[in-house]
Amino acid sequence: MVTAFDYVPAIVLLPFVSFVVALFIGKQLPKKGAYGGIAATAGSLLLSLWVLASVAGGGAHQETYWTWAEGVGSQPFTLEFGALIDPLSALMLVIVTLIATLVHVFSLGYMNDEGERDLPRYYAGLGLFTASMLGFVIADNLLMAFMFFELVGLCSFLLIGFHFREPGPPSAAKKAFLVTRFGDYFLLVGVVAVFATFGTAAFAGAESFPALAEGALDGTVDVWTPGGLDTMTWFTVVGLLVLGGVIGKSAQFPLHTWLPDAMEGPTPVSALIHAATMVAAGVYLVARMYGFYALTPTTLGIIALVGGFTALFAATMGLVKEELKQVLAYSTISQYGYMMLALGSGGYVAAVFHLTTHAFFKALLFLGAGSVIIAMHHNENMWDMGGLKNKMPVTYWTFLAGSLALAGIFPFAGFWSKDEILYEALIHAGSEPLLFAGYAMGLLAVPVTAFYTFRMVFLTFHGNARSEIARNPEPVRWNVKGPLSVLGALAVVTGGINMVPVQKVLGIEGIDYLHLWLDNHWGGIEGLSSHHYAEIDPYSSTYPFGTEVATVLAGAAISLALAVAGLLLAWKLYNVAEPVEHTDKLGGAKTLLYNNYYQDEFQVWLADRTRGVSGGADTFDQGVVDGVVNGVSSVSLFGGDRIKRIQTGVVGNYALLLTVSLTALLVVFALLGGWF
Amino acid sequence: MVPVEYYLLLSSGLFCIGLFGILTRRNALYFLMSVELMLNAANINLVAFSFYWGNLTGQTFALFAIALAAAEVAVGIGIILALYRNFGDVDVMQAATMRW
Amino acid sequence: MTDDRPGSSSRAPGIAAVALFGVLAAVILGSAGGFGDPVGFPAGESIVHTIGYALFDIGLGEIPVEGFLAAFLIIAIALDVALDSAVYLAKREDEGTIVSALTDGGRDIVDGPVSGDDSEGGDR
Repeated sequence: MVTAFDYVPAIVLLPFVSFVVALFIGKQLPKKGAYGGIAATAGSLLLSLWVLASVAGGGAHQETYWTWAEGVGSQPFTLEFGALIDPLSALMLVIVTLIATLVHVFSLGYMNDEGERDLPRYYAGLGLFTASMLGFVIADNLLMAFMFFELVGLCSFLLIGFHFREPGPPSAAKKAFLVTRFGDYFLLVGVVAVFATFGTAAFAGAESFPALAEGALDGTVDVWTPGGLDTMTWFTVVGLLVLGGVIGKSAQFPLHTWLPDAMEGPTPVSALIHAATMVAAGVYLVARMYGFYALTPTTLGIIALVGGFTALFAATMGLVKEELKQVLAYSTISQYGYMMLALGSGGYVAAVFHLTTHAFFKALLFLGAGSVIIAMHHNENMWDMGGLKNKMPVTYWTFLAGSLALAGIFPFAGFWSKDEILYEALIHAGSEPLLFAGYAMGLLAVPVTAFYTFRMVFLTFHGNARSEIARNPEPVRWNVKGPLSVLGALAVVTGGINMVPVQKVLGIEGIDYLHLWLDNHWGGIEGLSSHHYAEIDPYSSTYPFGTEVATVLAGAAISLALAVAGLLLAWKLYNVAEPVEHTDKLGGAKTLLYNNYYQDEFQVWLADRTRGVSGGADTFDQGVVDGVVNGVSSVSLFGGDRIKRIQTGVVGNYALLLTVSLTALLVVFALLGGWF
Repeated sequence: MVPVEYYLLLSSGLFCIGLFGILTRRNALYFLMSVELMLNAANINLVAFSFYWGNLTGQTFALFAIALAAAEVAVGIGIILALYRNFGDVDVMQAATMRW
Repeated sequence: MTDDRPGSSSRAPGIAAVALFGVLAAVILGSAGGFGDPVGFPAGESIVHTIGYALFDIGLGEIPVEGFLAAFLIIAIALDVALDSAVYLAKREDEGTIVSALTDGGRDIVDGPVSGDDSEGGDR
C-alpha cells in the first residue's frame, strides 16, 4: 500500500529538480523558471500536508535510504542518508514548503515584474535553498543534517550575493558565509565528537545518541570520553560545540552580525532566510536533538541566557534603524533569541510554537516590506515613506496584522507563542538563576519590540507622505497581494493551534493542539515527545504567583501590558502627521545603537588580533605545504632534464647500455647466486 | 655425445659476435645481419636443450624462430629503405631525430 | 653510403660484447656441477618425421613433443603481415602517384621514379 511516507524523498527532490531545470533551461522557460519553482514547491507542499495528515493519523516514519559508508573493525560507524518523519519534522516540512511556495509566487511580482536580470540563477538558487532546507528537516542523523546545514549556508551565500554587480551584496554574502562558517567549525567538531562518543549520530531510536547519552548518565551504557572525562562534563562540551553552529546559523549573539547585512539580498530571499530556512535551521537543530540538550543543565542555562540576551540586545538595535528591512532584520535576531530562551528553559513546545508563528508573521512582514519597496522604487528609507496606508490597503492591513503578531498583542499569533515562552521561563526560573536573567531580559525586550515595530508601521504607512514617490507609489499586482493575504490570515489565527492559557484559565481540555501534537498524542516516535523531554530536563515548576492559573494570568498580563505600553509610546511619538526623529534625543546612546554596539568593529579588531596566527598559517601554507609540492615537481623536472640526456636517439648507444647493464646484472647474480 | 656446455659456448660466442657487430658498425645492413646472428645463437640454444632433455619441442620451436626471423628481416629491410629515403644514408647514427 | 671504412666507427664499444662473452663463458663453464649428460633421442626414431607430426598435431612418433598447429597457423599469418608491411614500408609517394618497390624490377628505386604508364598493372 502506498502511504505518504513513500513520497518523502519527493518532497526534497521536487525543488531540487526545479533547481536543475531553472539552471539549465531556465532561459527558455516562461518567467525564467518561476512557474517550475512554484509547481515544485506547491507539489512539495501538498505532499507535506499529506505527510502531516498521515502523522496525525497515527503514523511516524524512519527509513534509511542509502548507507554510503560502513565502518570496519573496531570503528563500526555507518554513515547514512535517511528520513525521520515525526510530528516535529512533519510540521516543519509544511512550514518550509508553504513559505517557499508563497515566496516563489511573490518573486513573480518582486523580480519578474521589476525586470531583474539573471532570473534563472535566482530561481535555481531558491530551488536549491528550499531543497537543502527540506533535506535538513527530514534528516535522521546529525551528519546528514550537517551536510544539508552547509548546503543551506551555501545557498544563502549565493542568494544574498545575487546582485553581485553592486558593491554591497557580494561583501554581505561573504560576511554571512564566513560568520556562519565560523560557527559551523564548532558544529563539525561537535558532529565528530558525537560519532566518537556514541558511535552513531542517529536522532531517533534506542540506538540514537540522545538515548545513549541518557543511558550513559544513568550508568547503564558505556560511552567513550576523552581522557576519562566525566560524562556530564563531556556531554556539556559536545552540546556547546553543536550549539556553536546553531548560534552562527540562527544569528545569536555574538555571531549575529551577518544577518543585518544579509538584507542586501532580494527581499523574497530575506523572507525565506528569516522565516523558514537558514535562520530557522539553527533552532530546528536544537529542537531536533532536544533529547540530548535536555540532559545537560549547563548547556540549557547557556542557551537560555544567550537567547534572552540576544532578544533584548537585538531589539534595542532595532529601535534606531532607518531602513525598513534593517528593523525587520533585528527583529528576526530578537525573535530567534526568544526561541532559544524557550529551548533553554525547557519550553520545547513553546519554541516550536514560536518558530511556527514567527515563520508566518515574519515572512508576512518581509513580503509586506517587499511590497512597500516595490511601491517605493527600491527606496528603503522609512523617512522617505509615510502615508502609504491609503495607497496600498492590502499591504497595510496585512503588514499591520504581522506587526501586531510581532509585537505580541492579543489575540494575534505572536502573543500566544511569546507569552508561552515567557511563562515557561518564569515557572522554571525558580530552579535555575540563569533562567531568571533570561526571563528578565526577554520581558524587557517585549516593550522594545512593540515600540520599534510600531515605529516602523507608523513611519511607513501613517502620517503624511514625505517624498514624491510616497505620494505616487507604484501599484503592486496579485502575485504580491496573494501571498500577503494568505500569510496575513495565518498571522492572525495561528495562535489558535496552542491556546494553553485559555485552557488553563477556563479549564477547557484539549485545545492545546500543538502540545498534544508534539507529545505524540496522535502519533510519533518513542523518545521524541515533549513529554519525554519534560521528564529528562532538569527543571521543576514553581509558581511565583501562587497557583498555576494566577501565574498564567499574571505573566500574560505583564507581557501584554508591556507590549501595549511600547505600542502606545510609538503611537504617541510617531503616529503624527509629521513625525520627527525622537531617537535623536538619545544622543550618544543612539550612535551606539545605530552602530550596533560597534560589534562589527569589535569583530574586525578581534580578527586583526589574530593576524599573527593567520600570518603564521599563511607562511606555513606558502612555505612548507607549497614548498613541498613545488619541491617535488622541481626535483622531477630537474631530474628529468638531466636524465633525458642519455636518450641520444643513437641506436648504438642504447645497445651499448643494454649490453653493459646485462653484463653487470649477470655478474651481480652470479656473485650472489654462486654461479662461478 | 657432445656435452651441452659446448653448445652453450658456441651459442654465446655467436651471440657476442652479433652484439659486437651491432656495437661497432654504423651501416644498417650490417646491423640486420648481426641481429640475425644473435637470433640464431638463441636457436642453437633451443636445439641444444632439446637434445639435452630428449624432447623435440625445442627443435620445432627453432623452426618457428627461423620463420619469425624471415618476417623480421622483411620488416627490417623495409625500415632500412625508409631510413635511406628519409636520411639519404643507411647510417644508424644519423637517424636520431625521434628523441626528445 | 656508409661503408664502414676503418675509423669510420669506433671499435671501443665492442669491448662490452667481449666482456659479456667472458662473463657468459665463465658462468657456463663454472656452473656448479655442470649440466650432466644429455638424455638424447632414441636410436631408430626419425627426428624429422616427428617434427613434421608435431607441426600438424598428429600424435605419431615416440619422441615426446607438443602440438604446434595453432602456432603454425599464427606464424603463417604473421609472415604474411610481415611481407605486406615490408612492401608498405618500401613504397614511396612521388607527386601523388604511389611508386612501389616491387614493380620496377632491376631499376634503381632511389633515383628514377617509375613512369606512370606501367605503375597500375603490377601494383603490389
